[in-house]
Amino acid sequence: MSWIGCILMVSGWLIVMAALLLLAGTTQRLIFILSGILIELLGIGLLAWHYRAIQRGSA
Amino acid sequence: MSLIACLLCILLVPLATAGLALIHQGLGRSRSAAHAMLATLCGLSVAAIVFVLIGASLAGFAGGHSHAILLQHLRWDWIGAEPLFAHGLRSATGPYSALVLCLQLFTVGIAALVPISAGNDRWRLIAVCASTALLAGLLYPLFSHWVWGGGWLAQLATLTGLPAFVDTGGAGVIQVIGGLCALSVAWVLGPRQGKYTQGMATAIPGHNIVLVLFGCLLALVGWIGLDSAASMLFYGAAPQNLIMVAINAMLSAAAGCLAAVVTTQLRYRKPDASLSANGWIAGLVAGSAGCGLLSPGKTVFIGLVAGGLVTFLVEALELKLLVDDPGGAISVHLGAGLWGLLAFGLFGPTAGPRSAAVLSQLVGIATLLGVMLPLIHLGNLLLNRFVRYRVDIDGDWHGMDIRELGAGAYPEFVMHADEFVPR
Repeated sequence: MSWIGCILMVSGWLIVMAALLLLAGTTQRLIFILSGILIELLGIGLLAWHYRAIQRGSA
Repeated sequence: MSLIACLLCILLVPLATAGLALIHQGLGRSRSAAHAMLATLCGLSVAAIVFVLIGASLAGFAGGHSHAILLQHLRWDWIGAEPLFAHGLRSATGPYSALVLCLQLFTVGIAALVPISAGNDRWRLIAVCASTALLAGLLYPLFSHWVWGGGWLAQLATLTGLPAFVDTGGAGVIQVIGGLCALSVAWVLGPRQGKYTQGMATAIPGHNIVLVLFGCLLALVGWIGLDSAASMLFYGAAPQNLIMVAINAMLSAAAGCLAAVVTTQLRYRKPDASLSANGWIAGLVAGSAGCGLLSPGKTVFIGLVAGGLVTFLVEALELKLLVDDPGGAISVHLGAGLWGLLAFGLFGPTAGPRSAAVLSQLVGIATLLGVMLPLIHLGNLLLNRFVRYRVDIDGDWHGMDIRELGAGAYPEFVMHADEFVPR
């Protein structure tokens, strides 16, 4: 699960970079950059959930 | 740039380190107090040596040597290529590169202190040194080059048409990088023994709140020096503009502290001293993204939000995500740092449209979360395989002082068994 979280974080950043390289309009860029950040947050959420589950199991 | 003014400001920065060290030590348990301070000194020592040997070469400075990738005929500068062991200083023509190295020698130490707070009471000394070496030798220099060393985030205007990502006082380069490392270390270490019993969190209060509050005052002086020096070196601020930097640092800290006092008064019926101290530092962290470039009114607003936010973040991390962070370092440095970077995009001065300034700051934030966090976490997971991070279960109960140093910080004091108070 932690690997998927890390991969999602990197994927989100790649979307942000793709938006910078391939798009020109501010609105289009904003939508893609926000989407990329949302995917990164999803990855962080997965990582947090993974460690929370470990902690719940050991408590 | 005035050499004397810049040097004087840089010489104030170690006070921020001293302040943070006192805060972290005071918020930990008395049985690990000496260990916490020694870990701080060892962390600073390792950070300074490794940064000079390797990190400074990768961090570089604006106008220095660097490696770049060519994309669509544009040069994406991604890492510095100065000589190793700071040999470049001898051949440099002016004092600029030496001043940058001198400032970063202290700022990398501040970044290294943040995870030590999150790993308080259970992080082994040898592991602290190993993790700090990774941070100072690779992770910090990488992002520092992108923002302060003329890297691709500093050149967004040329590369993408957006304004450059701005981090005047190191809210991202120092605080968020340190905060991400703290989050990763807290995950790898797990909580202290007795922190969670049957799914319920127990409060483990800090052992010396007077030291914590004194640390806040020391940190203010150091922060003014840090913000001023970084503004001069990386953003060309004139010495007369430093007055605004000092005013804004004080205002953001004051607003953060008052917001935390009021929030805890409203939520718990009494102000919480440790959360208020965290609010003070959160204000400083959030305010350092814009330093003297923002108006006092906007700085107060940014500090107020940071101080209020940190009280909720501390609780969410502890109770919802089950992350044990004794000093609240993740909430203060990561949470407030990200807010400060975003707030600069929302309220900072801009020549073009506001949305473009926000986009630039979002690109920087996305890079911190999407590149730096995975790198930091994978690095810590890998290191943990070779150098075990966590002390054994006996050490956890006896305290790090006895376990790793053989003597306590307060040998004449009696240890009480009822240290754990149910929430």
